[in-house]
Amino acid sequence: MKTIETVPYHYLLKQLPKATALVDTNYSLIEASNSWLNIFDLEHFEPKNTHNRSVFDFYDSHKEFSSKTLKECLSKKHKQVIRHKRNEKENERWFESTFAPWFDEKENVLGTIVQIEDITKEIEKELELERIKTLLQAKSEVAKVGSWEYDISTENLTWCKVTKEIHQVSPNFKPKINQGIEFYKQGYSRNKISMLFHKALEDGTPYKERLIIITNKGEEKWVTAGGKAIRKNGKIVKLFGTFQDINDQVLAEIKTKESEQLLTTLIDNLPINVFIKDKESRKILVNKTECEYLGANSKDLIGKTDFDLYDDRVAQISRDEDLEVMRTLKPMIGRETINVRKDGSATNFLTSKIPLLDIKGKAYGLIGMSMDITHIKQKEDQLQDLINVTAIQNKKLINFAHIVSHNLRSHTANFSMLLEFLIKEKEEKEKKRIMKMLSHASDNLLDTLENLNEVVDISTNVNLDKKSLNLNENILKVQQNLAGFLVKNKVEFINSVPNNLSVMSVPAYLESIVLNLVTNAVKYCKPKENPTITLSAQKQEKSVVFSISDNGMGIDLNRYGGKIFGMYKTFHNNKDARGLGLYIIKNQVEAMGGNITVSSEVDKGTTFNVYFNEED
Amino acid sequence: MFILMKKINSIFIIDDDPITIFGIKKMLKTTVICKDIKAFENGKTALEGLTKRIEKGASVPEVIFLDINMPIMDGWEFLEEFVGMDIKEKIIINVITSSIDPLDYQRWNDFRLKCLHYLNFKNKPIYKIEATDLNRVNIAS
Repeated sequence: MKTIETVPYHYLLKQLPKATALVDTNYSLIEASNSWLNIFDLEHFEPKNTHNRSVFDFYDSHKEFSSKTLKECLSKKHKQVIRHKRNEKENERWFESTFAPWFDEKENVLGTIVQIEDITKEIEKELELERIKTLLQAKSEVAKVGSWEYDISTENLTWCKVTKEIHQVSPNFKPKINQGIEFYKQGYSRNKISMLFHKALEDGTPYKERLIIITNKGEEKWVTAGGKAIRKNGKIVKLFGTFQDINDQVLAEIKTKESEQLLTTLIDNLPINVFIKDKESRKILVNKTECEYLGANSKDLIGKTDFDLYDDRVAQISRDEDLEVMRTLKPMIGRETINVRKDGSATNFLTSKIPLLDIKGKAYGLIGMSMDITHIKQKEDQLQDLINVTAIQNKKLINFAHIVSHNLRSHTANFSMLLEFLIKEKEEKEKKRIMKMLSHASDNLLDTLENLNEVVDISTNVNLDKKSLNLNENILKVQQNLAGFLVKNKVEFINSVPNNLSVMSVPAYLESIVLNLVTNAVKYCKPKENPTITLSAQKQEKSVVFSISDNGMGIDLNRYGGKIFGMYKTFHNNKDARGLGLYIIKNQVEAMGGNITVSSEVDKGTTFNVYFNEED
Repeated sequence: MFILMKKINSIFIIDDDPITIFGIKKMLKTTVICKDIKAFENGKTALEGLTKRIEKGASVPEVIFLDINMPIMDGWEFLEEFVGMDIKEKIIINVITSSIDPLDYQRWNDFRLKCLHYLNFKNKPIYKIEATDLNRVNIAS
């Protein structure tokens, strides 16, 4: 009877879609659905293989539970659940077995009903959720973004772990809403958060604000506090929000701003012109000095090239320099440059250009610095002028020293020689002759000394008292002084010097100059021709040029040009020639800051041009 | 002593200073036998004198005393012209100067190296005519 009864159960159970098995109190399998057996790799219930087999045998291939737990589940009088896992090639499958006691009509326990569900998908979802939670936490920890939630009905405020860390409170700290507000720094931050929080409570206005809190440990911290309302059936029930530590970021920003400020102040107030140019040599930054130099605002200068600001030639030189610096990536340091502005004014600069490199090491522009050295340049030029003057003076002095040395030596040599003769001489007559020569030598020496004195006078007369002198009056004076000499030589004058023309000169020098030049013109006239002297004068920009021409024998300047103004240089067989006149007047003219030139043609005549310096 | 006195055909003294001419002439009297001593006051007159001699077919001077600083044509200019003349004989030229300018010495040396004649350099004062001032061959041999 029992077996007959069993058969319908068997068929019924076998077809159950949910994996179900019946286990007796001895833990032996009595019946099982095909789906149940499938879980344990068996096709269908075969009494030979499966009937009365211990249920533990089936669970042997499954993991993640202990047989002890299984045993407990099978013997308990109420519902039990265990999870177990089976590895299949690459995948793993998770199952949930539910154990429920099996009663007969009289509530006697006959065994256990075991139902198994495949929960692989749920397990996967659970794992995914766990993973996302972990990720979120990690993210919030790294980004220092915390969160908070406020329940209006319970007045319960919750802070997440990160929010607590930011406040530097212990993990089990339970904040109250007024405490939360009091963490904000008194003043602006606290007022602001109170206002925002209440506004959010009232009408749900969301907020996000940078504020300062004072942490539990008393540190000041910049945070971004955000809040948003949660509504239920249109009514605000909760506020929640984020809480982020942005202290490092804000401090860095402040620091950057300070550095920027420092740099701008520095660049702007440097007493040199600073500019940054892009690849096309357009200015993208100019400092105050550069603006002042160019007489424009920085916004008017940005985008301009040197061609807009300077003379074309100067701009091209500058552009070439820019290209060279950006091509070679070698800085140009301390080059002397000249800038000519559009109005034509020139400035000397000491310019450096340094290439600006991008991350790839390519130049995208340059930084330029120019120092105005115009005044230094001017000093340098003045110094150079002074050096030139000194060099000329020095040359003159050496020349003069040689002249002195030579002239004095020639006389003393004569004395020496004659005295030697005198000592050895026995004949009275010869002695007398030598004595006569000695006295002659002595006269010569005195003459020479007098001449040298005359020259020294000019050279040492530093405080030249130059006056404005009428040129014609002085010519007339010389003509009167030389009246006898001029009449005797039948000299004719052609004078075109303007009557009102004056020159700046030392009176004695002007007389000496005119006298010497007139005398020379007469002395070196052609033997059979009456001398004609042509005088003229012209006012020039910084000087007056006085010309005196004759129709005399002239002089071969190719031969004597270098010596004509030399001391003791004579070029003609003239007994009156001392070789001193031209040397002296050249010294006089130069001592007054002027100049003298000569042009001549043999047998035609000579012209001397005297340039009187009218400037100083 | 007189036995040793050298005989020279012709000597030129070119100097604008009469005292120096007097001195050289006086010193020569005791050193050489020369019947033809000519003095010129500058290079130009000396050159004219020399040209005339050559035109006449007379012999050129064996020895020249030459001052440097002279008007019209100085010693250097004279030398320049003289070196360019077609003179086969080797002449002894004594350059005499009171200058102690090293440039003058340098210039003398330049001339010495480029000309075929014998060039001496003598600083004033001169007290004595040296044998080398008159004769180079004997010393060299």
